[in-house]
Amino acid sequence: MRIAFAGNPNSGKTTMYNALTGRNEKIGNWGGVTVGSKEFQLKKEFAGDKEVIAVDLPGAYSMSPFTPEEGITSEYVRTANPDAIVNIVDATNLSRSLFFTTQLLELGIPVVVALNKTDINEKEGTKIDVNKLSAKLNCPVFETVSTENKGLAEMIAKAISLAGTTQKAPYLQADIDLHDKNAVDAEDRKRYSFVNGIVSDVETRKTLSAETTSADKVDGILTNPIAGILVFAVVMWGVFWVSQAWLGPLVADWLVGWIETFQGWVAGQLENSPAILSALLADGIVGGVGAVVGFLPLVMVMYFLIALLEDCGYMARVSAVMDPIFKRVGLSGKSVIPVVIGTGCGIPAIMACRTIRDERERRATSMLTTFIPCGAKIPVIALFAGAFFNGAGWVSTLSYFLGLVLIFLGALLIKGITGYKYRKSFFIMELPKWKAPSLKFAFKSMMERAKAYIIKAATIILICNTVVQIMQTFDWHFQVVEEGAENTSILASIASPFAILLIPLGFGVWQLAAAAITGFIAKENVVGTLAVVYALTSFIDTEELAMTGGANTVAATMGLTSVTALAYLFFNLYTPPCFAAIGAMNSEMKSRGWLWGAIGLQLGTGYTIAFLINQFGTLFTEGHFAAGFVPGLIAEACMVAAVVLIGKRVRAHFDEQYQLHKASKAAKATA
Amino acid sequence: MELAYAMNKNSAGTVIKNESLGTAAGNMTLLDAEPGQTYIIKEINTDDDEMNSFLFRLGCYQGEPITLISKKKKSCIVVIKDGRYNLDKMLSEAIII
Repeated sequence: MRIAFAGNPNSGKTTMYNALTGRNEKIGNWGGVTVGSKEFQLKKEFAGDKEVIAVDLPGAYSMSPFTPEEGITSEYVRTANPDAIVNIVDATNLSRSLFFTTQLLELGIPVVVALNKTDINEKEGTKIDVNKLSAKLNCPVFETVSTENKGLAEMIAKAISLAGTTQKAPYLQADIDLHDKNAVDAEDRKRYSFVNGIVSDVETRKTLSAETTSADKVDGILTNPIAGILVFAVVMWGVFWVSQAWLGPLVADWLVGWIETFQGWVAGQLENSPAILSALLADGIVGGVGAVVGFLPLVMVMYFLIALLEDCGYMARVSAVMDPIFKRVGLSGKSVIPVVIGTGCGIPAIMACRTIRDERERRATSMLTTFIPCGAKIPVIALFAGAFFNGAGWVSTLSYFLGLVLIFLGALLIKGITGYKYRKSFFIMELPKWKAPSLKFAFKSMMERAKAYIIKAATIILICNTVVQIMQTFDWHFQVVEEGAENTSILASIASPFAILLIPLGFGVWQLAAAAITGFIAKENVVGTLAVVYALTSFIDTEELAMTGGANTVAATMGLTSVTALAYLFFNLYTPPCFAAIGAMNSEMKSRGWLWGAIGLQLGTGYTIAFLINQFGTLFTEGHFAAGFVPGLIAEACMVAAVVLIGKRVRAHFDEQYQLHKASKAAKATA
Repeated sequence: MELAYAMNKNSAGTVIKNESLGTAAGNMTLLDAEPGQTYIIKEINTDDDEMNSFLFRLGCYQGEPITLISKKKKSCIVVIKDGRYNLDKMLSEAIII
């Protein structure tokens, strides 16, 4: 049996779904958090001995979709024939929600209304007569509070018991020609007046929604173009500082101590076994994976803080205040949400682009959002900050800031290439009621992500490290590479050709090239591979390293100066993300041209940033350009030429399309 | 000037500012409105059918009240039904009150 969860955006569908199924899907206090359908079995305590599948759907205001994710919902309830529908209604906005409710009631599928967020109504003194509402809608209505599990058991039991019955609609749309816009409009008006009639009968409000409250004063500041952006900058800086300069490293230091003890223990156990086995297990597996896991606390603290931000309602305000700026470069205020989510992981960030209505803005956002360093890149940043810059906080700050700058520049470039002409792009964002962020939810979300991180470290990263270790240990004749002849290893011979391309960037050695390449599988691999190829493990324990001169050892072994180290770091941050994120980009863009354009743009950006930093950094510190300046310049010229060519072709195509459109219109007019 | 504004109360108890003003007083957009006041929507003019019907489903259509909470140069915050929304300049100017 399948029960679909449908309702307006931000009515609490996913929170309810999580409570009923025990899942941990992403939630947040703004409209459009859920962008795809998800299904899972109901917990035993709710379903009894029946097998009941709950289907969580993206929020929708009505059956006629406006954005792609709304389409998923109307498509599902229309065609998938769920056995019952739980319509989650935001009790604080009954007058808007019931429009969709009356449409759902017309489908013939039994509907149960969950009047959610009733706790807020109680606080605000809004009363809804549940019995009267139930009688008027011709379906059961239950008061619920998803965040506290209130009323859920009774509600879902009723939905299960109704499965298979037929719903009688309280309001039926007249038989009209659905192509006739005026007739449809008139029908929708009638539906709304039916809804308005119900609301005025069942609802009594103590505070009118139109009254200006203290929360409105806060919103006034947060959406102010100067104060609001300042607040956003301070908030984000606070998140990064706490997670990457203060609390995160504090916990990480402690964790790394344990990992090193464990590594020592493993090495001790393997004392009498062959050297290769010991190298593979102690250095390759425990060392490489340990290097990645050591950074977990930084990532966890950040996930926790971002979850708090998402839960309180701030995201909608940020997107409102950033809209005018993003609009200037051809994006939308809604592009901010993917960018913030992208600090955690690029894949959900790219999927979050679905709520952007305009196709060009949507594709451009999913192309650019991964310039913001994700959680997997934190270990890379922390490693380089620790080994080359004495753990300086500015490295991390600069990485994020430059990412944001690249998003703007990239957006301008896309705007130029696509020949973006003046087109009406509207922005409307619901500002949800503020809510105290739930520490419990933030903790759960943090643990969920930590679990995923550890699983990734124990699978993909472990395998990659093992493969790298093996490829480094053997040559093509499967003979163990002798000391001093490391360049004959399989890894060295594969990575060397790529290394040549990287000479103008200042890091043209096969070890660094190999690490950058494994980074495309997962960005944590950059750290893991470096640990393996240079047989280094203790990276972030900066205090201890400083005492033993370890940070310098790391720096010296890699043979990088601070300038080339920064170039290498930024190269890894701004080249294409991992393959999984590229896959997500592919499914959101639905266009080969855009996908290859995205990969090309990201490769070009990473290369250009590293080239500029290396060459000008060297010029500044040593008074001359670094090696490979001219070949690099030629590569840059080729990239510029490619951009110009693509731009010309796209624009020619655009004009052609536009003209065709005009021609067909003219043909219609004469016909 | 204040006298010209006929202050009427609708069923919900909100004071409507522009009711019975008629077209003689001229149409204004949301950006010309006064914060804290409720107005009746006269027309929605986005030149975009999908956008119009989206606004409709939020309860933003001709004859319905809309309250301006605050406004800035390029955006404003309004109350439609029982929800608060941030609108950009282009959308604010498309809503005639």
